[in-house]
Amino acid sequence: MDVLAYIWLGIQAVFLGPEAFSILGIPVSITVMMVLCGFLFGIVVGATPGLAGPFAMAISLPILISIFGYSPDALLPVMGFLIGIMKGATIGGAVPAILFNTPGTPDAFMTTLDGFPMAQKGQAKKALRVAHFSSASGDTFSDIVLFVCAPFLAIIVEAYLDLPEKTGLLILSLSFIAAVIGGSAGKGLISIGLGLLAVYVGTGEDFYPRLSLGADGLSRGFPITTAVLGVLIIGAVFKELEEAWRNTQRTTPVQAPVESGDQNLHWADIKRLFPFIARSAFIGTAIGALPGVGSTLAATLGYTVGRARHQKIRAADAPRFGEGAPEGIAATEAANSAVSGANLIPVLSLGIPGNAAAVFLILAAESIGGFNPGPAVFRFSPDVVNPELVIAFGLFTCMTIANLFNWTIGGVFMRSMGFMINIPKTLLLPAVLLLTLTAIYVQETRIEAIWFALGFGVLGYFMRVLGISPLPFVIAFILGRSLEETARQAYSATGNDPFFLLNNPIALIFVLMSVAVILFAGRKPKGTAP
Amino acid sequence: MKNLFVAAAAAISIAASAVAVQAQDWTPPGPIKLMIAFAAGGGADTQARLIATELENRLGWEFIPEQVTGKGGVNLLNEMKDQPNDGTVIGMIVAESLGYNLYTADIGLTPENFTAITTTAGTQMGIVAGAATGWTSFEDMVAAAKGGQEIRFGVMSQRLGELAYLVGKAQGIDLNIISVKGGRAVLNGVTAGDMDVGFMAGIQAPGVKAGDLVNLASGMAKPLDQTPDAPTLPDLGVDFDGAAIFMFAGPAGMPDDARNAIASAIAEVTSDPETEVGALIARAFGGPLTIQGAELDAMVARDFAESEALIKAASE
Repeated sequence: MDVLAYIWLGIQAVFLGPEAFSILGIPVSITVMMVLCGFLFGIVVGATPGLAGPFAMAISLPILISIFGYSPDALLPVMGFLIGIMKGATIGGAVPAILFNTPGTPDAFMTTLDGFPMAQKGQAKKALRVAHFSSASGDTFSDIVLFVCAPFLAIIVEAYLDLPEKTGLLILSLSFIAAVIGGSAGKGLISIGLGLLAVYVGTGEDFYPRLSLGADGLSRGFPITTAVLGVLIIGAVFKELEEAWRNTQRTTPVQAPVESGDQNLHWADIKRLFPFIARSAFIGTAIGALPGVGSTLAATLGYTVGRARHQKIRAADAPRFGEGAPEGIAATEAANSAVSGANLIPVLSLGIPGNAAAVFLILAAESIGGFNPGPAVFRFSPDVVNPELVIAFGLFTCMTIANLFNWTIGGVFMRSMGFMINIPKTLLLPAVLLLTLTAIYVQETRIEAIWFALGFGVLGYFMRVLGISPLPFVIAFILGRSLEETARQAYSATGNDPFFLLNNPIALIFVLMSVAVILFAGRKPKGTAP
Repeated sequence: MKNLFVAAAAAISIAASAVAVQAQDWTPPGPIKLMIAFAAGGGADTQARLIATELENRLGWEFIPEQVTGKGGVNLLNEMKDQPNDGTVIGMIVAESLGYNLYTADIGLTPENFTAITTTAGTQMGIVAGAATGWTSFEDMVAAAKGGQEIRFGVMSQRLGELAYLVGKAQGIDLNIISVKGGRAVLNGVTAGDMDVGFMAGIQAPGVKAGDLVNLASGMAKPLDQTPDAPTLPDLGVDFDGAAIFMFAGPAGMPDDARNAIASAIAEVTSDPETEVGALIARAFGGPLTIQGAELDAMVARDFAESEALIKAASE
């Protein structure tokens, strides 16, 4: 079995899987249909202010699992749907940003800076076309980097990193995430610490359920769904509800801006925009490959670099960045879309999720079983088929299919989504809350799960109030078990050496880098008062 | 004389049909909660879910599968003990859960607190090395260890850890025993080179066939089907058996009609190679293994009692 044979098997797994229906005798596989549905759903969600990709992924996941079951056959349809949402939400977020100056997703904020002025000048359709073209380009570039890099990185990790080094790498990832998410290393560490504390309840090697305080309900630990959905989704709903309660609700529906002039994207436009797209796609991909650094930073960086370049080459009568320059939209959208594919590099090669979308892909894999994202996936075993590798190439195929949908029907569908702005949050948020709780109960089927989820929701709410990002909590919750297991295994493997992290050069480097990352991020910038 | 035969045949057929009727007479008073002690998606979990699906199709019983993992099945037992014992709650575990794991958990429970229903399959437990080690026999590994090489031995349960320790002790070598979660983790560890050798419960068969893995020894008291010449645990000086046996159990005091009906229904689908689960068991677990009734009770009691001897042997 060589690499090409595996790629071919992955493609077959997508197209020749269980069929949904057939057109003229040609079977259409359920996975392709699920990618399409997820993609369209993602655009709708992205175009709705107050909703974002992770919401949609969180709600759909348990429902999908209850439909498709726990067999390995379920992996590709379910994860294909989630990938569709991830990609759809990225382009959908630009719609309300351009039309109504309200970003649909947080990373679309920079899109408002030039998108809304263009819309006010009557160029809304053109702005949407620029956004779609740039987004699809950035996304596609990022995916290609993922397909090439993830297997190689995984093989290098497997070949050169032993158990102590893998423990060191996990510690480094957690430190890095604590340092870069949320702007404060201290708050990041609190978030990570709480996540580790939560995941270590009721787990461990000993027969006594650790940290359970003798309570039967806690002896099995917190189900991963309750912690992730509680902190990420329910916490966000609580926070949004509070804001909706404080702000007076907008009562009149928002009107779409009037259009005038040429709305088409011409070859000359594309040629002019291309350098900005390419630069931003590169920035977004590089940033996305680092775990924990989100698309918002990529968008900001892409925009800033684009602006600096634009000022040098701008024609005298062309609008500046911030006054409705198509280049501004292109620079932002290409950067934030390029994050999504590259974000899966650490997931697939190391098992380390870098953002909320990756968290839900890992959650799907863990819930269904039969696929454990991590370096072991990319074992090109020559004689026996490695089913996980087939799934991995199946996922790559799903991403390619989603990109094809994005290039073909994404633009048209996206431009028709302007009306989603009028859905009031007072209806949306309770619906999301109810769906999330239902989804958790569907998967866990015990009432404690609901209490856990609400408890984590309250925790997530207070974390948001105090400015502590909940994402490190969730990532720590996901990585906590493998951190403990790898450390235990490294300890046994080195003949019970308690200093295994310090006695192996590569592991030691990872530990020192972890300390350095925290110290560097925690350092106050020069010139600020203590 | 002929009449006698007819009478005998009639009597037998009446007796047989009485058993059949008795089995069919019992229907679950509601949906059956099927607790599964194994991680979703693995071979054991698939076995449990396929049995449930097949029974739903054949008998119209309704199952609600639920994962209750952790602590080698003890979490499941602990949660199941107070549930209704009318046949509406059953759990799939390994015999080790009611034996060594329950014994060492020391939570005041014994096999008496449960009703053993039926076993479904055994496993082909082997001591398996990666081909990259260059070892072709158990002696090669012992020689490497005596030559000063550190040997990492992967195990997926505490009991197997004790057995690995005893193997090392009997052979006069030190083994760094690494405990991981589930048989696939041992396979991955050995394949990736994080471990040199490990216990694998049948998952090694395709790799051994392809030459990527080597069955150095049987992890059981009997030889492996695939590599019959490899030494058994007693050959290596360890008088215990590492075979894992999958089984179903329920809370204590389950009425006989419910216990027998569930046991015979499960045995019927697991021993039928035409069913999906029968095919899985034939392929991955070396064929069905059906132990029920008093024989099963005796086996469970013996496993529990033997645990003390194993711990004593390993702590000497």
